[in-house]
Amino acid sequence: MKSTQALAIVLLSLLLTWAGQVALGYFQVGKLEPVINEETNLREPPTPSGLAQTGARVFASEGCLECHSLSVRGPSGSPDLTRGWGERRSVSRDYLFREPALVGFSRIGPDLSNIGNRIKEPKDLMMHLYNPRNLKTTSTCPPHPWLFEMKLAGPKHESESLPIPRKDWKQVIPTYQAKALVAYLQSLNLNYSLPEAPLK
Amino acid sequence: MTFPLPSQSKASNAAVVMITSSAIWGLLAAGLQTLSTIQLLLPVLSYFAPIPVLDYGHLAPAVSFLLIYGWITSGLLGVLMILVPRFSGIPFRYGRLLTGGAILWQVGVLSGLTGILGEGGTGIPFLPFLRPVTCIFLVSFLVLGTGITRGLGGSWKSGPLLPRLYLLGALISFPLGLGTAELLLRGGTTPGAVQIIVQLVWASVLQHLWLSPLALVLLFQLIPAMTGRATSSLSLGVLAWITTLGLGGWLSNTLASEGPLPSWLQSAGVVATLLLFVAVLGNGILLQPLLEGKMEEIKRNVALRFMSVGAWSYLAAYGWLAFLALPGVRQTTVFTMTSNTTQTLLIFLFWGSVLSGSVYALLPVARNMGWPSHPALTWHFWFTTIGAGMMVSGYALAGIFQGLALNDPGVPMGTVASYLRPFLVVVLIGQIVWWVGQMAFSSLLFSSLLKLFPSTAPMAVFPSENPASTTR
Ligand code: HEC
Repeated sequence: MKSTQALAIVLLSLLLTWAGQVALGYFQVGKLEPVINEETNLREPPTPSGLAQTGARVFASEGCLECHSLSVRGPSGSPDLTRGWGERRSVSRDYLFREPALVGFSRIGPDLSNIGNRIKEPKDLMMHLYNPRNLKTTSTCPPHPWLFEMKLAGPKHESESLPIPRKDWKQVIPTYQAKALVAYLQSLNLNYSLPEAPLK
Repeated sequence: MTFPLPSQSKASNAAVVMITSSAIWGLLAAGLQTLSTIQLLLPVLSYFAPIPVLDYGHLAPAVSFLLIYGWITSGLLGVLMILVPRFSGIPFRYGRLLTGGAILWQVGVLSGLTGILGEGGTGIPFLPFLRPVTCIFLVSFLVLGTGITRGLGGSWKSGPLLPRLYLLGALISFPLGLGTAELLLRGGTTPGAVQIIVQLVWASVLQHLWLSPLALVLLFQLIPAMTGRATSSLSLGVLAWITTLGLGGWLSNTLASEGPLPSWLQSAGVVATLLLFVAVLGNGILLQPLLEGKMEEIKRNVALRFMSVGAWSYLAAYGWLAFLALPGVRQTTVFTMTSNTTQTLLIFLFWGSVLSGSVYALLPVARNMGWPSHPALTWHFWFTTIGAGMMVSGYALAGIFQGLALNDPGVPMGTVASYLRPFLVVVLIGQIVWWVGQMAFSSLLFSSLLKLFPSTAPMAVFPSENPASTTR
């Protein structure tokens, strides 16, 4: 085999690898649009707020993905759905506005695709982040106290501080990162119906 | 085995930078990996001492980054810088430039590592670092890769074909793949659903079109040289090469969750994985006769010993991937520790053993040095091989039990985690044992480079001294 022939084979197979998957994939799922909910007239999946988009990056950089996936598997009656991880399976359209779009690869903890629906109160999510054992005494999810600041109590912070009794006068105040992460977790839900994955 | 003392090549310093850094990164990665396993085993530790740098979410991506970009890639590029000018007969010029490229690669690894441990990773598999680090890697590769390719093109006809074919494929796949992934994943224009596909293609390209082919270059070049036998069927080899190149980039689709990925891509991934395994068996048919009946030599020559473990692990790793691709199995094992099994088989046993064997065989050629006949040689082999074997079996059993438990909705998540514990203990012991082996190697490497030992038993193997390597 000549070196030029070998080079041609290499380039051709790389072209097929990339174009075959990414370009064909693009024609299939790259042009998906949100659907309009006829009752509320809102687009679904909704565009996440700027804060939630920042939170997606915090989620990635804190490595939550090392233990939590973001994809509920079907079909109806599947173990994922029975565990209550979602009301329907995840499909391509759910990831339209995710930046970066992450699916995860590990399930040491539960899937979080629908966590915004499971833990609805932002304060509860904050409490979980600060110390998961605040919500469930046996939890093995690692705590993330570095997303919070300890500040002396003052009227400015009262409303934000976590209801955690401390011996000193300080209060536990979420940082911007914690707020963003919680906004992102709240945005994670599968409570809207899509033609390819209807809610039952 | 004696060999003519060649003059030190211009690439020699660059190669030493790559190989010594690789040894250090390997040691550091394995150390951090033990810490991360301890975190999984004793989650309560993170409640006593919540330290972000030691948190599992930071350690795990840092470890896989260090293993792949630090230990394996640095090391393989380093040994190729010694090998290629010799099998091509075309020495490198611009030695300083190459050394600069080698140092730049290490700067990339260091900035990637500090970024992941400090700021956190990006969450993208195999692309956990930010754009500046991608640029450092690409610039460094431009220098190192051009150096290696120059030797390749000028000498196409003068040696065995298979190593050249794999080298060509790898050297083109890596920069094109990294550049494309960077642009498509972080250009801000790719829709979310397509990003998922791009991530999977990049994962496949990095593993099966870059690192595995590099390891095959060394297997097909060094085993014939060490055993004095030539590979038998060229046409089978070429067929396996074409299959590897054509299908390698499709493999990761198999391991993805089906929801977000178009279903035809997943089926294509399954077909690709099974067919690629056939090609791997084809390569096995070529490699097996080279080693058959050479037990005495394998026992005596640590380099050959590592190479044969590498060759067997190559079959095992792709066999395991084919097993995971089977439809019934895939349903159960997606999102489990079976992917850690795959990674350990590939990184520690296949690429890692080939790397160690090649360093033993090639470094003496570049540095006019020999390895001392010190027990540390044997420790290195047994500790790393047994350690990696423990990791593989621990992860495999953990993953299978985890998959079965996850698929039974009656088992609460807390209980799933407790099923993993006994197997993770095996993994942890394996990681510690491996670390000790790598420590033995590193001390040997540094003391030999500094010529602290009298080199009583040089066991360098130099491909061109052997007639078998020049026949096709
Ligand atoms: C070391 C693995 C690990 C990491 C890293 C991790 N988690 Fe967890 N997480 C778990 C486990 C295990 C559970 C389940 C605990 C239980 O129920 O006993 C869990 C539970 C949770 C829950 C509650 C889920 C439910 O259904 O009630 C939330 C919310 C959560 N994690 C969020 C996060 C976030 C956000 C991050 C990143 C900042 C994160 N986790 C990082 C392992 C992890």
